[in-house]
Amino acid sequence: MARLEKPEDLENLRDSLREENRGFRLRIIIPNGTCCRASGSQAVIDAVKAEISKQGLEKEVFLHITGCHGFCQQEPNILFEPGNIAYCRVKPGDAKEIVEKTVGNGEVIERLLYVDPLTGERIRREGDIPFYKAQDRQLLTNNKLVDPLAIEDYIAIGGYGALAKVLEGMGPEEVIREIKASGLRGRGGAGFPTGRKWEEAREAPGDEKYVICNADEGDPGAYMDRCLLESNPHAILEGMMIGAWAAGAGMGYVYVRHEYPLAVQHTRNAVMQARALGLLGENILGSNFSFDIEIARGGGAFVCGESTALMASVEGKVGEPRPKDIHTVKEGLWNKPTVLNNVETWANVPSIILNGSDWFASKGTRGSKGTKIFALTGKIRNTGLVEVAMGTTIHDIVHNIGGASDGRAVKAIQTGGPSGGCLPASQFGLPVDFDSLYDAGSMMGSGGMVVMDEKTCMVDVAKYFLKFLQDESCGKCIPCRVGVSRMLEIVTDITEGRGTRAQIDLLKELAETIGQTALCGLGKTAPNPVLSTLRYFGDEYLAHVDEKRCPAGVCRPLIRYAIDPEKCNGCGVCVRSCPHEAISGQKKEVHAIDPEECRKCGICAAECKFDAIMVN
Amino acid sequence: MQQQVTLTIDGSTIRAARGTSVLEAALGYGICIPHLCHVPGLKDTGACRLCIVENVQNGRSRVTTSCTLTVQEGMVIRTNTENIKRLRRNIAELIVAEAPNSRAVQDMAVRCGVREVRYPFRRENCIQCGRCVRYCTEMWRANALGFIGRGKDRKVDFAFGNRRDICKKCQSCVIYCPMSVTPCGGPMKPGEEKLCGKCESVELMAENAYGACVHCELGKGFQCSRHAM
Repeated sequence: MARLEKPEDLENLRDSLREENRGFRLRIIIPNGTCCRASGSQAVIDAVKAEISKQGLEKEVFLHITGCHGFCQQEPNILFEPGNIAYCRVKPGDAKEIVEKTVGNGEVIERLLYVDPLTGERIRREGDIPFYKAQDRQLLTNNKLVDPLAIEDYIAIGGYGALAKVLEGMGPEEVIREIKASGLRGRGGAGFPTGRKWEEAREAPGDEKYVICNADEGDPGAYMDRCLLESNPHAILEGMMIGAWAAGAGMGYVYVRHEYPLAVQHTRNAVMQARALGLLGENILGSNFSFDIEIARGGGAFVCGESTALMASVEGKVGEPRPKDIHTVKEGLWNKPTVLNNVETWANVPSIILNGSDWFASKGTRGSKGTKIFALTGKIRNTGLVEVAMGTTIHDIVHNIGGASDGRAVKAIQTGGPSGGCLPASQFGLPVDFDSLYDAGSMMGSGGMVVMDEKTCMVDVAKYFLKFLQDESCGKCIPCRVGVSRMLEIVTDITEGRGTRAQIDLLKELAETIGQTALCGLGKTAPNPVLSTLRYFGDEYLAHVDEKRCPAGVCRPLIRYAIDPEKCNGCGVCVRSCPHEAISGQKKEVHAIDPEECRKCGICAAECKFDAIMVN
Repeated sequence: MQQQVTLTIDGSTIRAARGTSVLEAALGYGICIPHLCHVPGLKDTGACRLCIVENVQNGRSRVTTSCTLTVQEGMVIRTNTENIKRLRRNIAELIVAEAPNSRAVQDMAVRCGVREVRYPFRRENCIQCGRCVRYCTEMWRANALGFIGRGKDRKVDFAFGNRRDICKKCQSCVIYCPMSVTPCGGPMKPGEEKLCGKCESVELMAENAYGACVHCELGKGFQCSRHAM
């Protein structure tokens, strides 16, 4: 394709691409993101491709390889458009039947459809699946329309139209005014108003300015940014171009962790394609705006998601934060004014420019506008990426979309990763927005949501996050490096039965000290998992300390396995499964566990079909 | 002439050259803010967090380190509120539990009001204040020492752990290390986690002695910035 010299060239290209796409009768969409590949989507794609060419259907149907659609629980899946038929958990062996029946004759293969676990009903259309139905997918919806490796697809759905609109007739001030009016706040977790950040960077003195996309996603269980970069990298690039125009920057960086090889590859490819079309480089679309983007790969340090540490890392220095008494919008990368936004924030920008700030502000709550993507994981039926309008209640997300597992009651939800906190089920009426979650002692964070049930020990959860933070602290300041490891020491004591009430008080005092005195945002929020569990699940801590008992039956030094004589029928499965030979008993007689020999591995409880192994 | 700004520290109005840090300005006026990683003449990093103060803006106070905070016209700083004293005491307690036998650290902890340590001792020989690394890098441009690793594995070492040959043998790292002040004669033993406070210098450095600096011996050994002046 030739370089685009003016906005009309882009429009002409868009029209011709749309014309090309009309030639196909059917589009077979197979997502192939990192998560899809883990479930074997590549083999499915190869099989379908081979089958299509075998039956000579290449001219009629279009095999569209896209990024992940979000329903990771049911991958690999296939979607057919038009028709919106969705198949779940497809195996390579199904390819022949799919191509013959569905592609050839338009028949629907019943056994591959999604089965609603509540009603047992088979659902044909993707849009009718409860997981998708309850969502408001603004960003993720493009994932199924775009091949991440093809800039043509992005342009065909209207991509780079916002850039053209901005360069044609919107001054930087107008862009900033529009973003401010939309109420867009930083999706990385802190929720700083994006428009204000751009404005401050624009007003900061100096000619040389930078924009950075923070794709150093590190929260355990969160992968929204990876998915966006993998599936639709051009949306992020377009957002950055608009941000650079507004802030007056000439250079941008995408800081993405090396552990996301597919995201790195797709972003790099997207930058090269944009450069080839003249959407990056000198005098973009014939305007006086020149801008380029480079990829900076991170080594995978959690702390490099913090703005100043990230900038140090881009500069080639050790990724450690510096004090932020002077903000990065004034002195950021190479001490120049810098706008740093999260992947999702940048991805939201083009649609705000195209559809207007009113459209964006019509969704969400008073303080938090638009939609937000969450990575929903844990003890629920439907795990995956969920996009909902701000202000949706936690209950709606966990039950309506997540379809909380039956049997065990949901006890808590962890939001915001290591910087966030755990909210109990009694707080599930809370609307999910920046301010409500913060007031409840947690935070939105980048969007991880881990659902926990009564088999989860909250002290153990706090211990898990402290362990994570101890390993991931950069070690520069005393409160974070020493303080967090001391907190871990205390919590470990509690989970191993050595805890005292005085230690709980010390834990609280220490948590407060770290929260007020640590150097960077990560250190300041590091005590949140402990503070929130202490606040809502204080009784669990007390049970560990006073009664030396773990109510959830998780903390090994505090639990004992025993056999319920009422339920045991002497089948002998546990006797055979125990690796420590701690269970004895004749066939057809009630078995017994020798507490001296038992190592509390829990294998017997998992193996027993009669629920006869009790934990207390 | 250098531009001067006027700010208020603990109720006293003082003037300081634009660009200096709040810590330096305060020390210049004899307002003693405890500090450990600060070395006069080197860039401050805010690693030890002992020099925390409250910066009052629009009626709201924010806790921040005074070494990294540059003076601004009309700034209101509080160095000795109950909250600051408590936070500082907790940080000093963390530091002294890492290195219980360093006299400099012990004295610093007593000065911040620590009487008893609630954590088991770790007996590290380094608290990673970074004084040696910064002196080596910034003053001598030798770059012989640096931090290696992350989090709990972070430590001071030569490049690649073995490039001793880069060292210019100036001994600044030894001089500037808070651990190299004559070690405490009566080491604290596990189970006796109390600071004895028997060192001569200690009494005058205790938290109540605020404003009564006598240029103590501790400060000399520890390069308290008031000795440097």
